[in-house]
Amino acid sequence: MMHPSFWTNLFRKDSKEKDVIEALRNTYIFETLNKRELQLVSQTIHVREYAPGESIFSQGELGVGMYIVLKGKVQIFVRTQTAEEEESSFVASLGDGDFFGEISLIENNSRRTASALASVETSLIGFFKPDLMEILDRQPSTGGKIVLRVAEVLGRRLKETTSRISELKDELKVHNSRGLA
Amino acid sequence: MSLATRQLHLKRINRVRLMAFFTLLFFLIACVLVVENLLISTLIGFVIAYLLGPIVNHFERRGVDRLWSTLWTFFVFGSLIIVAGVFIFPNLSTALVGLQQETPSYISGFSKLISSLETQARGLFGSWFSMDLNEWVEERLTLGMASFFNHIPGFIKQLLMVMLLGPFIAFFMVKDGRKILRQLLALIPNHIFETALSLQHQINIQIGYFVRARLLEAGIVGAVTWAGLMIIGFPFSLLLAIFAAITNLIPYIGPLIGLIPALTIALVNSSSNFELLLLFLVYLIAQLIDAGLLIPFFVARIVNLHPLTVIIVIIAGAQFMGVLGMIISIPLASTLKVTVETLYRHLTESRL
Repeated sequence: MMHPSFWTNLFRKDSKEKDVIEALRNTYIFETLNKRELQLVSQTIHVREYAPGESIFSQGELGVGMYIVLKGKVQIFVRTQTAEEEESSFVASLGDGDFFGEISLIENNSRRTASALASVETSLIGFFKPDLMEILDRQPSTGGKIVLRVAEVLGRRLKETTSRISELKDELKVHNSRGLA
Repeated sequence: MSLATRQLHLKRINRVRLMAFFTLLFFLIACVLVVENLLISTLIGFVIAYLLGPIVNHFERRGVDRLWSTLWTFFVFGSLIIVAGVFIFPNLSTALVGLQQETPSYISGFSKLISSLETQARGLFGSWFSMDLNEWVEERLTLGMASFFNHIPGFIKQLLMVMLLGPFIAFFMVKDGRKILRQLLALIPNHIFETALSLQHQINIQIGYFVRARLLEAGIVGAVTWAGLMIIGFPFSLLLAIFAAITNLIPYIGPLIGLIPALTIALVNSSSNFELLLLFLVYLIAQLIDAGLLIPFFVARIVNLHPLTVIIVIIAGAQFMGVLGMIISIPLASTLKVTVETLYRHLTESRL
């Protein structure tokens, strides 16, 4: 009788492809794409495997695209330079279905604004500028939908940042007025 | 597992991945270089793929499946080549047979030209000029032309082989090229993956521009030369135009090489000064169109190499692979330049 792992291995490729399409379908950026369009994106992306503790990218590096967590955990750190020393502060922990690094997909010669590290065995879907260009070249309507969603995400991030800056300004005003009083 | 052990393990995996990538690349390049006709077929395959790739993408944009887009494009392209072949090959073979028949008269005409030059040289230098130039040139020319015509059947056999293999390679490059490239890129270690992907993308764009622009340029120069030579009623116009189009792919010295056979025929035929002037005008107009219109509008995107680099690269290409080496040395040098530039930019601009 054939060992059960034989069948597992035989169908693993298909199941991996299904997992990738499912992950793409559940990601906000690709949510509006139909089955055929998702198939095209799945033929364009790159699935990368990371070991625990392996760096995905470092702050300041040139980046060319975004990542979606297919399986595993990713930690985001920001390096801050104080007068005495350089310290790394934890920003977020991302899990299955989360995405990061999308600014590099649009910005030219974009530098990573934070560092990303795989904290456990992690599978990531890499979607990069050359892949987006390929989709725009082969199926502009699909590319347009993706670009629109990326723009929405960036707009939302900008709104959040603006509102956070306003909050900080208010806090600073209160702090200064208390100091003066 | 401690952090240090994990880092060592990661480094080992990355080394293995990189070794696997370069071994595969080395194996592919070795295959292309060692197997007979594979290098030229692959080069032709690349040229066809870069030429037809945008057309396939155009059909895909209109909703046609990639396989059908590729099949349809290659079918139309193949049909056009066959139709052109049906028209060009009989003319070409007539021209070649004519050239073969007239070769003795050309050689004797050339000998007379050399004799008159020799007499003038003896008049100028006297006993200092003791070499029998005429006999030496005639012997070399007879041997050279005989060898040229003897090599034609072998050349045609090789050409047919390449003409079959080249489009076959191109078909799979267009249809599955991206898939193959993605599989090759999968071997790249994570820490250099984005750089490698970006580099591959830029090289691909540059070579695409290069191939399309140079082919368009050569085609137009060939067509203008053919039309011009036909208008002035010059013999072997098609053969000379094809030769001019091919040699035009060699920068700077190519157009001059392209002129040599026509000039030789005109001199041997004892053409009048007016006929010589017309011949120069045809080649000059083709070159003016090339320099004034084609280069600024189509070829400006090509990677520019310094003239000295171009000459050195052409000499090196000629030494290794003859005429083919002279033609492919420039795109190869340009690719190398783009690779080095992109790699340098990525390494120096990254704050690693």
